[in-house]
Amino acid sequence: MDWTPFSFIVVNLARQIRAGEITFSGVNSTLPMLACLLAKRAFDFPFTYINVAGGVEPQPVEVPLSSSDPAIVHGSPAIFANQDFYDLCARGGLDLVYLGCAQIDAEGRTNVSAIGSWENPKVRLPGGGGAAVMLPTAKRVVTWRTDHTPRALVDKLDFVTASGNMTALVTPLAVFLRDPRAGSRFRLEVFNPQTTVEDIVTRTGFRFEYGAAKPALPMTDGERQALELLDTGGRFSAAFKG
Amino acid sequence: MTLVAGLRAASYGIPFQPVAGVHGSELARINGWQTLRDPYGSDNEVYVIPALSPDIAVIHAAEIDDEGNARVYGSPFWDHPLTRAAKRVLVTAEKLVPTDRLREQPELTLVPGFMVEAAAIVPRGAWPGSMHPYYDIDYPAVERYMEDRDGVLEQHLADAPEADSSR
Repeated sequence: MDWTPFSFIVVNLARQIRAGEITFSGVNSTLPMLACLLAKRAFDFPFTYINVAGGVEPQPVEVPLSSSDPAIVHGSPAIFANQDFYDLCARGGLDLVYLGCAQIDAEGRTNVSAIGSWENPKVRLPGGGGAAVMLPTAKRVVTWRTDHTPRALVDKLDFVTASGNMTALVTPLAVFLRDPRAGSRFRLEVFNPQTTVEDIVTRTGFRFEYGAAKPALPMTDGERQALELLDTGGRFSAAFKG
Repeated sequence: MTLVAGLRAASYGIPFQPVAGVHGSELARINGWQTLRDPYGSDNEVYVIPALSPDIAVIHAAEIDDEGNARVYGSPFWDHPLTRAAKRVLVTAEKLVPTDRLREQPELTLVPGFMVEAAAIVPRGAWPGSMHPYYDIDYPAVERYMEDRDGVLEQHLADAPEADSSR
């Protein structure tokens, strides 16, 4: 079965999780929330999942549409609320954090503040929500875009909201990786086999290396079954906007 | 996070609060945030955020007694630093309960009554948001509110539980 933009993003976000890690998903992060819940079902290694609604290892009866809905706390044996998870990140205790972006550059810096100049913006964006603290202090940060355009994947950000340990960018077409050290740039690691590297180059605003890029491995049975269960009735995929 | 650092400074009674990260963010420039070098020898440069004391904090609680002791179930989100940093605290709550009920599990009381200036009982007061464990987010109401057309705000206010005077 072919990838859809929805399944490509969710499965490839999940594939960034490593055994034993403490992962975190925040507000306005439905796709990373699904990725963490998918990984719990599809992967045979343990990891810890904390979410912004205060849930630790939640067992939601029905996965909510919003990633900050208290329904995503259901079944948690502990409440680990905002002060706790931000402080955990600040002291280096979060291994993998999913943070959104409106714009991203080749060094994994993000803009979630304004399009245009800060003083006279074309669009005022919601703001970092802790990104300026989390991006430099989390061990690894992963971001995503539901579109893959030179407007979002830019050579130069309109505003630098956060800078730091960005290690992966997932779009409907591609997975870029970079090392979490200053000056390191994204390289194309994996591409959607329904597209080409040339197409990705055309649709990306920053330059990147792609010599070692490979087509994405097909969805495993476990990933497919977990995604179908989470997306019962197309609740999430139908609402997906690329 | 930097916002909370400011609230923490106010709640600790100090002029600023060190915070992790922020390096490489233009938020430091536009907000005029300064750094301090660790005076104890690590040489680390740390951003310090000025104290932020809201004039009024308004929070929604699950239960409250007639002394203003307010209980919240589930995650307290930011209610703790917010109520400690603010100069005045107002509470709305789902229901009025006897103080003896709060005495049974005092650790569930998020704000003690001596900190609360005034309170109101507002059933479904978090609408269209959720209030654990009583009700979930009203997603259709949120979607209607986000529509870009005339009259949306008026309709939203008319639909709010507070608008129903028969309750």
